[in-house]
Amino acid sequence: MSAVTEEAGHATSTGIPNTKMAMWTFLGSECLLFGALLSVYLLYRGNVPSGPTPYEVYDIPFTSVSSFVLLMSSLTMVLAHNAAVHKDIRRMRTWLIATALLGAVFLSGQVYEFTVFVKEGFTVTSSPAGSAFFILTSFHGAHVTIGVLMLLSIVGFSARGVDRVNKPEVVEYVGLYWHFVDIVWIVLFTLVYLIPGPEVGY
Amino acid sequence: MSTETHHQPTAKLYVKVAAWLAVITAVEVLLSYMTMPPVVLVISLLLASIVKFVVVVGYFMHLKFDAPKLRMPLLTGLLLALTIYAIVLINMIMHAKYSPS
Repeated sequence: MSAVTEEAGHATSTGIPNTKMAMWTFLGSECLLFGALLSVYLLYRGNVPSGPTPYEVYDIPFTSVSSFVLLMSSLTMVLAHNAAVHKDIRRMRTWLIATALLGAVFLSGQVYEFTVFVKEGFTVTSSPAGSAFFILTSFHGAHVTIGVLMLLSIVGFSARGVDRVNKPEVVEYVGLYWHFVDIVWIVLFTLVYLIPGPEVGY
Repeated sequence: MSTETHHQPTAKLYVKVAAWLAVITAVEVLLSYMTMPPVVLVISLLLASIVKFVVVVGYFMHLKFDAPKLRMPLLTGLLLALTIYAIVLINMIMHAKYSPS
């Protein structure tokens, strides 16, 4: 028999708060979105009738630093949640701001990267590979942007004395979304940037 | 991540996990510059990526400590995502004249 837990005054038959289960279900559905976009990229990455191939324009050292920044933002996010659990609101806000800043650094890197690619002739319309690459990475960037906005909203509401956002659950749910954005990038970084292109057989 | 304090890992553990993730990322980048058979390279990079994925989901998203039921939505999503890739790939192989490569 399922455990019953109390959430916001009502019981859940799974023993898990409904909001948390809903967030995980949402993240599961996001796997489909990124799975579809990544499938398209992997299947079209060798389709470059004219212009540079993705592998000619990638700057691996630069993207590695961006990946490291996003990875570290997951650490600051989980530390924010840890602070919220221990009711250390000041520390929670500090870590949330740090996470938002790291997210913003990652986004700046992505904008810079896109600018360089476009200058080198690899654009969203230059080839099917270009379309697939820009759509995939832009969707990820849009998710990071939404994450940054959510983080800043929590900090803003918390600073204005809205106690509800200081609850560990709120930080946890936003954190789950943020970590998901990070794991998507972990997969993208390997499959899009690091694995050699079709010209070497892959 | 979990709100239950009795299952809450310490900040020190989170820092250790992040340090390992950084090390694995550095190894991945180094591997991509090394000369080795493509099959070995691809398998090594995929393994490193899977390890990082599982560690973030397990420790930072707290799935290792949370109720096992919470794993189902993510696993279902991942399985369906792989299915999409397999279907599109098979479709393209079967209709080779439309194949992008």
